[in-house]
Amino acid sequence: MKKKATALLLAGFMLLATACSSNSNTDNQANTGTEGNTTGSQKITVWAWDKNFNIAAMNLAKDAYVAKNPDAQIEVVEYAQDDIIQKLNTGLNSGSASGLPNIVLIEDYRAQSFLQTYPDAFQELGDAIKTSDFAEYKLGPTSFGGKQYGVPFDSGVVGLYVRTDYLQEAGYTVDDLQDIDWQQYIEIGKAVKAKTGKDMLTQDPNDLGLIRMMIQSAGSWYLKEDGTTPDLKDNAVLKEAFESYKELMNADIVKVNSDWSSFLAGFNSGDVASVPTGNWITPSVKASADQSGKWAVVPFPKLKNAANSVHASNLGGSSWYVLNNDGKEAAVKFLGATLGSDVALYQKLVTDVGVVGTYKPAAEGEAYGAADEFFGGQKVIADFAKWTAEIPNVNYGLHTYAIEDILKVEMQNFLNGTELDKALSDAQSQAESQIQ
Amino acid sequence: MRAVNHTIRNRAKLTGWLFIAGAVLMICLFYFYPMIQALLLSFKTGAGANLHFDGLANYKRLLSDKTFFTAVKNTFLFLIVQVPVMIVFAMMISVLLNDSKLRFKGFFRTAIFLPCVTSLVAYSVVFKYLFGNDGLINLALMNLHILSEPIQWISDPFWAKVTIIIAITWRWTGYNMIFFLSSLQNIDSSIYEAARIDGASGPRQFFSITVPLLKPIILFTSITSTIGTLQLFDEIMNITKGGPGNATLSISQYIYNLSFKYTPDFGYAATVSYSIVIMIIVLAFLQIKLAGDDK
Repeated sequence: MKKKATALLLAGFMLLATACSSNSNTDNQANTGTEGNTTGSQKITVWAWDKNFNIAAMNLAKDAYVAKNPDAQIEVVEYAQDDIIQKLNTGLNSGSASGLPNIVLIEDYRAQSFLQTYPDAFQELGDAIKTSDFAEYKLGPTSFGGKQYGVPFDSGVVGLYVRTDYLQEAGYTVDDLQDIDWQQYIEIGKAVKAKTGKDMLTQDPNDLGLIRMMIQSAGSWYLKEDGTTPDLKDNAVLKEAFESYKELMNADIVKVNSDWSSFLAGFNSGDVASVPTGNWITPSVKASADQSGKWAVVPFPKLKNAANSVHASNLGGSSWYVLNNDGKEAAVKFLGATLGSDVALYQKLVTDVGVVGTYKPAAEGEAYGAADEFFGGQKVIADFAKWTAEIPNVNYGLHTYAIEDILKVEMQNFLNGTELDKALSDAQSQAESQIQ
Repeated sequence: MRAVNHTIRNRAKLTGWLFIAGAVLMICLFYFYPMIQALLLSFKTGAGANLHFDGLANYKRLLSDKTFFTAVKNTFLFLIVQVPVMIVFAMMISVLLNDSKLRFKGFFRTAIFLPCVTSLVAYSVVFKYLFGNDGLINLALMNLHILSEPIQWISDPFWAKVTIIIAITWRWTGYNMIFFLSSLQNIDSSIYEAARIDGASGPRQFFSITVPLLKPIILFTSITSTIGTLQLFDEIMNITKGGPGNATLSISQYIYNLSFKYTPDFGYAATVSYSIVIMIIVLAFLQIKLAGDDK
């Protein structure tokens, strides 16, 4: 009896011991990390999503850096964006940054929620980058309390991708689509539908990206300047965006999609005549090689009545952040030397990956002026770079997605006949109780 | 002699405790500790890591939270529509499969049970594609001329709910059927024989013998299904993400959104989780009371 009990106890201890030892293993690794830091061979871990875009871009940065610093060890790991958010939240919330990467990509809409809710979790970039070299609208989301925390990355500048062949059939040329407003867009859409039978665009009713693009084009957002007070009720710009969206939906020119892949299928299969979205869609548009020469990109339509609305806006876009853990110095150095200042690297990003950065000096480079045969010889990158400079700066604040979920419901109500003022004031009161 | 007996008994007791000590320790560590932590968390407010005790603030917020009530309403709709349908289905199928004259019984049983061994995420993703606007279901229905226009299975608030109900029914009917089958096999066939001799018809046998004898299993399956539905997450997350416009938002999906999609608010998310605990306790209690089972 006694033997058995002792054996059991022993087994228990062994279990605990292995649990502890695996713990101390990670500690050891972290420690060697610190030691390595002094010798300059610190391993830098990077997390990002989107293999063809962000990961590809980071790999180019890595290659450029390793060419000059052969000792540098950089590991780029791909996770889905949702996974990165979960891991960051759980990791930072537990108060321990070990197990987290050195560099992480964060979407601009979410940046403030991380910077403000986890103070001290991120490393200030200070002198590593020159903030005035980056597009101004990127600096709001990437800084906090007067300090710069992020290296502004892809521009997220939006354009209106159009099928020139469908437009021609409906009696329009690309010139007719320069600098239009949403009412004109809807009229053109109706003509295209009547002549070709194709819808003008595809939309997921569960994604209000179009509303976001519309209101940012007029320098407005879901929140007031302070980034915390909901600005929904009596927000004239938002109202016009809602009305335009309803007009669009009711004009019978929208092919409804339910997720990303059916969104892509919408234009890859030739079912829709235009795609109003961020420039990061370029690789996906080009995925249908047989449509080469049939596309053009025109400036984003503006809101008709909003005085401040311009033909430039932003959708998505993200930036790189350094976590405040072992190896931060090496990580800052790496980012500063590559995405923070390397003009040649930005040329490669454009030609190899199609990334339009927000680093202003890079726009002078050759790659930015190249003509793209897929878009009928248009210098799309130069156009995007030009529009990037015009994007109004807004404060996204902390609550973009929380408010958007409230607005989605009110949008459905509005589409189904609720008064717009009532829908937005309901949204306002819900947002106020949600954000506290 | 008595003293010796006493020490032996004590020793046996100690050995028994030693045997379960590991399990008890683990349960305390991995079940009770997090549960208590979560309860404490539900009294804290603040974003991300800036948490501080704030009394009942979260519970007050819960009572005025429109989105939470939408989630509760949706979840209960799934519960009220789906659980009874599924249990009736499971019962009918199990009675059919229990027929002694039926051939290829093993094949049918396996086929109906098979959905339960598939991964929740995998089957959800498959359903999402089947029910897409250009998905197989719409294509089939249109080619058969049952529909002239595709149904917006996932983008329409009503049909999205229907899609979720179809998905969870497909996934869980076979699981419940197994319980009914095993219980049916314990019913003495002589009871049915006697009933047949007395001239009872098939339906009469079903309602007067099978159903009453299956009562404990009906109770068991409805309680487990209720708990499962109240925690519904994978299907919603992978098929509709709660949309369109919160039309299929479940309580668990809302907890996920509060923790990870919005600015992280773990305190309030814990409060919402505890609301599920309370609901499950109340519902299970009611079901046991209603079923009148005093065992």
